[in-house]
Amino acid sequence: MVFASCSDEFTNRPPEDALSLDAYYATDAQVVAATNGMYSRTWFQFANKFFYAVTEVGSGNMYSASSDVSAMRNFSLNGSDAELNNGWASLWANVQQANLIINFLEDRVGPGVSPAVLQNTIGEAYFMRATAYFYLVRLWGNVPIIENPLDYINEPQINTNRIEDVYRLIEMDYQMAIEKLNAKIRTSNYTDNGHVSKGSAKAMLAKVFLYEKKYPEAKAMAEEVINSNEFKLLGGSMVPDKDFGDLFTYPNNNNEESIFAIQWITDGNYGSANNANTQFGISTAAVTTSNASYGGVFAPSQDVIDLYDSGDIRKHETIMFPGDTYPTIKVLVNGTTPQIGFTVPSAAEIGGQGAGVAIKKYCIGIVNGNETGPIDAWAMMQNNTYIMRYADLLLIHAEATLAGGASTSDSGALTSFNAVRQRAGLTPMTSITFDDIFLERRRELCFEGDFWFDLGRIPRAQAIAFMGAQNRGNQFAEEHFTPNEDDFYLDYPDNEVSKNPKLLDEPVPYTFD
Amino acid sequence: MGNTLHELTKWCTKGKTLFYLLLFCCTAPLYAQTTVNGVVADEKGMTIPGVNVFVKGTQNVVVTDLEGQYRIEAPADAVLVYSFIGFVTQEVDVKGRTQINLTLKEDTAAIEEVVVIGYGTQRRDDINSSVSSIRTKDIENLKQTTVDQMIQGKASGVTVTNNSGAPGGAVSIHVRGTTSITGTNEPLYIIDGVPVSGDATGKSMSGRPAGSNDFSSSGGAGNNAVSPLSMINPNDIQSIDILKDASATAIYGSRGANGVIIITTKSGKKGTGKLSYEGYTSAATIYKQLDVLNLSQYARQQNALSLLFGVPAEQLRPEFAHPELLGKGTDWQDEVYRTAITQSHQLAFSGGSDNTSYYISGGFLDQQGTLLGSGYKRYTMRLNLDSKVKDWLKVGANINTGITNEILTINQSYGGLISNTLLQSPDIPVRNSDGSFAGPLDNSMNATYFNPVAEALSKDNTLIRKNFLGNVYAEADIAKGLKYRVELGANTEFSENTDFTPAYNWGVQVNQSADLTERRQNWYSINLKNLLTYDKKFGKHSFTILAGQEANDSHWEGISATATGFQSNSPFGLNLADPAQTKASSYRGSAALYSLFARLIYDFDGKYSLSASYRGDRSSKFDPTTDNQWGYFPAVAVSWKLSNEPFMENTRKYIDNIKFRLGYGETGNQQIPNNQYSATLQQQNSGLGAGFLPNIFPNPDVTWESMEQTNLGLDFTLLDSRLSVNLDVYNKKSSGFLFPVPLPAYLTGGGGQYGGLNPPYSNLGAMENKGYDITLNYGTKGEFNWNSTLVFSHYQNKLLELQDGLNLVQSVNFNGYQPYDVTNTLVGQPIGMFYGYVAEGLFQTQDQLNSAPLQFGQSVGTGAGQTSLGDVKYKDINGDNKIDATDRTLIGNPHPDFTYGFTNNFRYKNFDLSIFMQGSYGNDIMNLTYRNGTSNAQLYQNALTDAANFWTPENTNTNIPRPVGSTSNPNVQVSTRYVEDGSYLRIQNLTLGYSLPFDVINKVKLTRVRLYGSVQNLHTFTKYSGYDPEIGSFNQNVLLTGIDNGRYPSPRTFSVGINVEF
Repeated sequence: MVFASCSDEFTNRPPEDALSLDAYYATDAQVVAATNGMYSRTWFQFANKFFYAVTEVGSGNMYSASSDVSAMRNFSLNGSDAELNNGWASLWANVQQANLIINFLEDRVGPGVSPAVLQNTIGEAYFMRATAYFYLVRLWGNVPIIENPLDYINEPQINTNRIEDVYRLIEMDYQMAIEKLNAKIRTSNYTDNGHVSKGSAKAMLAKVFLYEKKYPEAKAMAEEVINSNEFKLLGGSMVPDKDFGDLFTYPNNNNEESIFAIQWITDGNYGSANNANTQFGISTAAVTTSNASYGGVFAPSQDVIDLYDSGDIRKHETIMFPGDTYPTIKVLVNGTTPQIGFTVPSAAEIGGQGAGVAIKKYCIGIVNGNETGPIDAWAMMQNNTYIMRYADLLLIHAEATLAGGASTSDSGALTSFNAVRQRAGLTPMTSITFDDIFLERRRELCFEGDFWFDLGRIPRAQAIAFMGAQNRGNQFAEEHFTPNEDDFYLDYPDNEVSKNPKLLDEPVPYTFD
Repeated sequence: MGNTLHELTKWCTKGKTLFYLLLFCCTAPLYAQTTVNGVVADEKGMTIPGVNVFVKGTQNVVVTDLEGQYRIEAPADAVLVYSFIGFVTQEVDVKGRTQINLTLKEDTAAIEEVVVIGYGTQRRDDINSSVSSIRTKDIENLKQTTVDQMIQGKASGVTVTNNSGAPGGAVSIHVRGTTSITGTNEPLYIIDGVPVSGDATGKSMSGRPAGSNDFSSSGGAGNNAVSPLSMINPNDIQSIDILKDASATAIYGSRGANGVIIITTKSGKKGTGKLSYEGYTSAATIYKQLDVLNLSQYARQQNALSLLFGVPAEQLRPEFAHPELLGKGTDWQDEVYRTAITQSHQLAFSGGSDNTSYYISGGFLDQQGTLLGSGYKRYTMRLNLDSKVKDWLKVGANINTGITNEILTINQSYGGLISNTLLQSPDIPVRNSDGSFAGPLDNSMNATYFNPVAEALSKDNTLIRKNFLGNVYAEADIAKGLKYRVELGANTEFSENTDFTPAYNWGVQVNQSADLTERRQNWYSINLKNLLTYDKKFGKHSFTILAGQEANDSHWEGISATATGFQSNSPFGLNLADPAQTKASSYRGSAALYSLFARLIYDFDGKYSLSASYRGDRSSKFDPTTDNQWGYFPAVAVSWKLSNEPFMENTRKYIDNIKFRLGYGETGNQQIPNNQYSATLQQQNSGLGAGFLPNIFPNPDVTWESMEQTNLGLDFTLLDSRLSVNLDVYNKKSSGFLFPVPLPAYLTGGGGQYGGLNPPYSNLGAMENKGYDITLNYGTKGEFNWNSTLVFSHYQNKLLELQDGLNLVQSVNFNGYQPYDVTNTLVGQPIGMFYGYVAEGLFQTQDQLNSAPLQFGQSVGTGAGQTSLGDVKYKDINGDNKIDATDRTLIGNPHPDFTYGFTNNFRYKNFDLSIFMQGSYGNDIMNLTYRNGTSNAQLYQNALTDAANFWTPENTNTNIPRPVGSTSNPNVQVSTRYVEDGSYLRIQNLTLGYSLPFDVINKVKLTRVRLYGSVQNLHTFTKYSGYDPEIGSFNQNVLLTGIDNGRYPSPRTFSVGINVEF
C-alpha cells in the first residue's frame, strides 16, 4: 500500500505536447481561435481534388484524363473512389467539429470569456455545420443527421435521414448562425474580413431557400444581405480600382466580395494549403505555371471553350487560350529560367490533358513574393478558395425574384443581375429569363464548384439532355456521355458501407428536439 | 580461480625445481612414483590453464600452467582426475605412462541446462513452463543483420517474418500466433535485464517512425519500420530464451502477452584472456526478376491500349509506329538492382580471474542494399563485467553502444522504388546524353512514375541512430539462502533523419526548389528493479521464493523541420533554405509503469514441481483517477518428472527424461498511445491564424488488455538420449484487446490528421489462438558428428467477439492517393483475412453477360462505365442479383497452416557443414504488385508481360480482362484474381567450414582458425509469382499481413569468412 500510494504521481502522465481540452478556452482570444482550423484543415480533403472532380468535371466544365479525378467525366464514379472518400470524410469533419463546439463549448469556457465572443464562435460552428450539410445533401441526398457524435460512439450504425429533414436542419442552423454571429461590413482592410458574419449566414441561407424553391424567403434573405451593404463586387461600381481577375489572386484574399472562403495557410503540414495552382494552369517542359513536378491535372472542357462572348472580360480570367498573355504571372521556361509574364503557347503545346486550353481561375503561377505568397513542400499555396461570393448572391436575388416565372423585368432583379454582367464588361439586359440567369451563373462561377449543383436543381430530364449534349472529350476526340437519373447522387463510400450497411437502407424521418 | 592459484604457486616456489621438490616432500612415499606430464586442451585444440589434475583418492593436486602443461607424481596404477569448470571431468588410468595429453570436452549440458526465466535462472530440467532456448552455436552461421532475423525457424511456436529485404528493416515475431490487434504483436525483449519493446512502430511512445512522418498504410511513406534491435551485434549474444506460455511470462505481467524473449550477452570465462576475431565479406543479389514488357512489347501494348481507350489511330505516338523495330529499351530492374557487398568485422576480448570476468567487443558492419541507394552501417561496442567485491557482494555491468547509419528507400508503396522500377516505361532512358537523369518529356504522359535510378541516387534519406543500452547490478548475500539484488537499467536512443530531395529536372518532372526534412528524435527509458530471493532446501523439499518491485519510466521527444527555397542543391541545411518557408514542429511525452511481483518455485524430490507467481502493474496509459491503472496477473504451473519415479527404472534405456508440464497464466498489454482516456486538442491552422481543435474522442474506460493461456507440455528422450522431443499444446485467449474503435468517417471526419477526430482506443473484443509446438532434436556421438533439429509450429487464430457494429476492414494505398480495402476481420474467423470480390473468370458470351447480375450499377454495353465481354465476372455473394460493395467476402488467409525450421549440423574431423531450411505452408498472399502490373488502366506506364495477354474478341482464352482506361474500373477491384498460394520452403543457409589443424596454427600462437563459406537464402521452393513469398506485415500491422505491394525482396547472399582465436 505504501508502494502503491507513492506510485500515484509516478503513473500520472498528462499530455506534454498537447493542450488538454479541460484546461483550454479560458480567454476570449482562445475562444476566437477555436474555429480557425475550420477555415482550412477541415476542408482540405474536400477542396483538394474531390470538389473539382465532382462538381466541375461532373458538370462538364472541366476535363481531365487523370484517373484519380476523371470518373465523373463519364459518370462512372463509384464507392471505391478514394477522392469520394476524402470529400465525404472532410465534410463530416466539419460537421463533427462544429457539433463539439455547439454542444460543449458553453460548458467549457472559463469565467473570463465574454458572452458575445462565445456566442459568435458558436454561431460560426452553426454556420460550418449548415454549410457542410448543404454540400452533403446536394451530393449524396439522404445522409444521417448527427447533432452530437457522442450519442453514436457506442452504436455507430445508424440510418440516413430524409433530404427534407436535412434541409430543415440546414435552415435551422443558418438561422442560429444569423442570430449569434457578429454583423460586419467588409472593408478594404482585408485581414478583418476572414471570419464569417451574420451576412455570410444570410447569404448562404438565401441560397438554401433557392434550392428549396422557397422564392419569397430567398428573395427576402438576399435583399437583407444586399441592403446591409456588407459586401461589394470587386471591380464593380463600389470597388472600381479592382477587376474580376483580382478575385482569384493571393493579395485579394478576403476582399469585399468574399462571403465565405477557405483560408489556406502554408504551415508545414500537408493539408493546410491550396493545391489549385498546381492542378490548374499549364505544365510542360517548355513553360510551367506550377511549382510542382506535375501540373495542369484539370483543364477546361471543350464545352466551355465557347461559353464566353468575346467582350466578356471573364473569358481571359477563366480560361487560358493560345496566344493570350498574362503579364503578371511568373512562369518557369524550359524548366530552369523564371520569367514574369508569358504568352500561352499553341493548343498543341499546352500539353496537360490535351484540351488545347488551360484553366486560368485560381492559377497564380510560380512563387513570386507577395504576388503569390509562399508555397509549401507540396507546392500548395495560400490563395483562398471561395465557397460563396457576392456575385452568386446577386444572381440568387435575381432568380428568387423571377420565382420560377418565364421572365422578369423587376428592377431589383435587373439591378442585381446587371451588376454582375457589367462588371464582366457586358451590356445590361432589360428583361431576363431563367435561362439567362442559368447561363450567367455558369459563366460567372465557372470552375468554382457550383455548376454541378445548378444542374442538379433543374428538371432532371433537362439536365440529362444538357449533359448528354456536351462534348466531354479533348481537342482530339469528341466524346459524349449521358448521365442516368441515379448519377445525380453519389455512392456512399464503400468503406463506410462496410462499417454501416444501413446507409443503403431507406432513409428515416429525423426527430428534431 | 585455478589460474590464479597456479600463478600464486609459481610465485611462491620461484621456479619449477623448487616446485617439484615441494611436491616430492608433500607426497606420501609409499608407492613407486612416476612423473606424468602432458598438455590439457579443449576440443578446439586450445590449451587450458588452471585445470585441476589430481590423483584419485589422494590430496595430490596440481594445476596446469599458462600453456596448459602439467606435471604430477603419481603411482603407475593410479587414476588421474582432470577437472575444470565448464568442462566434463575426466578420469584416466595412468597405466605406467609418463605422458598423458588430454582433450577436455566442454560440458555443453551444463551450459544448456541453465535457462533464463523472468528475474532468475532455472535448470532446463526444472522448468515447468514452455521455454525455447537458442544458443550461439545455433545461430552463429547465419549472416543476418539483426538478431531478430536469426530467430526464424530456430524456435518452435515462434513465427518470424522479414517485413522487408532492406538491411535493418523490421521483422515480425509472433509468439504462438497473434494475440492482439493493437497494431503490434511483437514480444517484449529483455536484453541483459533491460526491457525493450519489439514494437518497431513505438506505438506506446511517440508512435512516429525514425525515418518518416507516419506508419500509415494509406500514406506514401510505405513500410518504414526499422528493427528495434538493430543496435545489438548478433555476435555478442550468448543465448536467447523465449518464454512462450503465460505461466512463464506472467511474471512480466504487463507486457508479457506477446511472449518474452530474453537475450543474454556473452561474459568472460575464468582463465587466460581470449582474443577472437571474426570477419566476413558477402555479396548479395536478388535472385529473381519479374517479367516486364521491353520497349518493343511496350510500344505494341501502348498502341493497343490507346486504341481501346478511344485515341484516334492518327493520334498514336509516332515513335511507336513500328514496334518491331524498337529494341529492348531500358531494363529498369537491371538498372536498380545491384550486387551488394557487405563486410563485417568483429573483435572480442574476454577473460577472467577469480573475482572478475570481462567481455569486451567491437564490431563493424557495412552492408549495401541490393536496391541502388540503400545501405546500412553499424558500429557496436560492448563491455560486460562481473566482479566479486566481497565474499557476500557481487556487482556487474553490461554496457552496449550501437550506432547505425542507414540509407533508406521507400518500399511497399505505390510511390516506392520497386513500383517505380516495375512500372516506369522502358522508352525513358536512365540518363540523357549530357549525363543528367532523364524523365518523361511531355506532361500528357501522365507521369506518375519517376526514374527510379534518379530517385535512388539523387534523393538523400539517411537515418542515424545512436543507441546506448546498459544495466548495472549489485547482488548481496544477506543471510544463508537470502539474496538481495538491485538492478538499474537504461536504454536511450538518439536518431537523426535527413530527408533531402534536390531540385531536379527529369524531363517534365521538375522540382523547382530542393526540399529538406530534418527529424531529430530521442527517447530514454530507465528501469529499476529490487529483488529478494530466498533459496531453502530441507529434506526432499526445495523452495525458491522471489519478491520484487520494478519501475519503468520512459520519456521521448522530437523535433522536425521542413525547409524549401534552396538556392543550390549542395550543400544543404536548414540555414541555407528560405527562412520564410522553414517550418518546425515538435512533440514530447512520457509513460510509466510500476510493478510489484512475487514467485514461489517448489520442488519435491526432483519429481514434482510447482511454480506460482503473481504480479500487479500500474500503467500511466490509463485514467489515473480510476482503478483502471492496475492490472493483476497470476500464474501457476506444475510438472511431474515421471522418469524419476522408481518404477520407471527399467524403461530408461528406451525412454528417459519424461516430464509432464501443465501451466496457466494471465498476462496483459498496455502498449497504446498516451492519453487515450482524456480529450486533447491539436493545433490546426488556417490563414486566420493558429487554432486548436479536439482531435480525439476520449475513452475514460479504457483499461488493460488481458490474455489467459493454458499450456500442456511433454518432454522425453529416446535412443539413449540421442533423440529428444518436446511437445507443447496451448490455448491462448485474449480479451478486451486494445484497438482504435473503427468508427465510420461520418463520426470521425476521417480522423485527426485533416481536422477530424481520432477514434479512441477501446477494449474491443476477444480472440483465441490454439496450437502446438514441436521440437525434435537428434544428435550422434563420435567422430562423425551430426545434429539435427526440427521445429514445427502450428496455430489457429480466431476472433471470438467484437464490440457490436464495429468493422475492422483495413486498407492500403494502391497509387499514392487511393486507399482500398484489402483485409477484413470477422468474428469466428482468423484476423486480417483478405477481403474482396470472388472472380469467376471473364464474360465470354453475350448470354453470360445478359444473365449476370448487374455489375456495379453498370449497364451492359461497350462504353466506359459499362459492362462488356472480356470484363471480370464477379460472384453475387449475397444473392441480391447485383454486384456491389456488399458482395465482398473473405478471399484468402494470410495465416500459415504451419511453419517449420530444420537445422542440420555435421562435423567430421576439421570440417563442419550446416544446412538450415525453413518455410511456411498454407498461407495466401495478396499480390498487389501483380495487380498494378496487369491493370491495363492507364497509358504511359509499363506492365508485366502477362498484361499483354488481355482479352479481345480474338483472344478469349486468357484471364486478363479487357483494358478499361480508369484506375477505379471494376476489373481491377481487389478480388480472388490477386490471391496466390504463399507456401514456401527456403534453404535459408548453407555453411561449410574448415578449422585449420591445431598443430599447424599453434606454431603461430593461434588457438583456432576457421574458414567458412556460406550462402544465405540459397533457394526458395514456391509457386508464388512475385519476387519473394516471405512478405510479412506492413509496419508490423497484423491486420495487413501477406500483402505484397512492392516489398523490398530478400536477397541471396554469398559470404566467405574467418574466425580466429588466440
